[in-house]
Amino acid sequence: MYKPLLILTASLALSLPALSQAGAKEDFNEVYSKVESTHNQAGTYQWTTTANQLKAAKEAADSGDYEKALEMAEQALKYAEQSLEQRKQQQEKWPAVAIGN
Amino acid sequence: MRIAKVILVAVGATLTAPLALAGDTPEEDRKETVEYFQQKFPDVPLEEFVNGQYALDEDRRKQWESMSDFPPFEFAVAEGQEMFETPFANGKTYASCFENDGIGVRQNYPYFDTEKKEVITLELAINRCREANGEEPLKWKKGPIASISAYMASTSAGKKFDIEVPNDDALAAYQAGKEFYYTRRGQLNFSCASCHVQNPGNWIRADLLSPMLGQVANFPVHRAKWGEMGTLHRRFTGCNRNVRAVPLEAQGEEYRNLEYFMTYLNNGLPVVGPATRP
Ligand code: HEC
Repeated sequence: MYKPLLILTASLALSLPALSQAGAKEDFNEVYSKVESTHNQAGTYQWTTTANQLKAAKEAADSGDYEKALEMAEQALKYAEQSLEQRKQQQEKWPAVAIGN
Repeated sequence: MRIAKVILVAVGATLTAPLALAGDTPEEDRKETVEYFQQKFPDVPLEEFVNGQYALDEDRRKQWESMSDFPPFEFAVAEGQEMFETPFANGKTYASCFENDGIGVRQNYPYFDTEKKEVITLELAINRCREANGEEPLKWKKGPIASISAYMASTSAGKKFDIEVPNDDALAAYQAGKEFYYTRRGQLNFSCASCHVQNPGNWIRADLLSPMLGQVANFPVHRAKWGEMGTLHRRFTGCNRNVRAVPLEAQGEEYRNLEYFMTYLNNGLPVVGPATRP
């Protein structure tokens, strides 16, 4: 009597993570390439923080844990964006603090 | 890193550029830099700035002086001399690549090559010399290149830095180096100046910060922390990493421009490399 319900629950439990893993993989790939390009745009202002985080994200993805990888890549994206912003700001601000200017 | 952040906050609060006169030729920069540090450290004679942190702290200085009988770079200087004098496979030596056979020339490096339109550091000149003579280039940051550079510096002891900015291309390289020194980088958001202009004489964890003025004159150095010799660009790499900025390539254009700017500010100060540092 409980069998159908059991099967239903079991299949849900199995398929949900699988489904979200598939979505996470795509999301991860998208975020990952966005981090790479933002990190590159930071030029000589790249942070090791971004590079390390990106590497860790890649390792998580390689081990198949795309949800963790996605989370890490999103954090890496924040770092990359901050470094790019730092580049833009510093290029304008530095003359005001330099001796001799 | 907590201390670093505290300093950062302090820097943010007190950061005011020293009042500057209009215009910024390298020579004006240099004079104002000298003035800035002399005001900050009125008891330190100008020529002492080349000794970095040892110019600023009595205890450190004593430790340093007690080492000077058997300086740990002596071996590197001897090794460097031997390499310098040993002919390449083609029979020529390093001397053939340098003015005055490479003896007593450290104070003129880096210089701006107006034909190639780039900054030539001593280490770059050493490796270009090798390549011109059919030898493999050496690694940039430590080992043989540091020893050869140390020997060449030792033959220039006491000579006064005399860096020129001969034309507009050179000025652009100088300005790029200056921009690098004053721009904040890395997750910790520090510029070289945050530490070496705003905070020399202050401690950052176990390290005593040296002033910008005089930096470079003592290179290459033997550092206790490294347990060996290292070049200036090795030091740049470390200082970038410490603020969580990705270091740039040793002897790449950015670091060479940075060295050019920094060394210009040392004009009139003596060559004291090689030296020891903690
Ligand atoms: C977070 C602070 C900090 C920042 C930012 C920093 N440094 Fe340093 N630097 C140090 C410390 C600490 C030392 C070791 C103590 C000393 O000699 O100043 C050092 C040492 C040096 C030395 C060797 C000085 C000597 O007497 O041998 C040089 C050269 C130098 N830094 C250059 C730079 C440059 C160029 C930058 C920017 C790219 C930079 N530093 C950024 C902390 C910093």
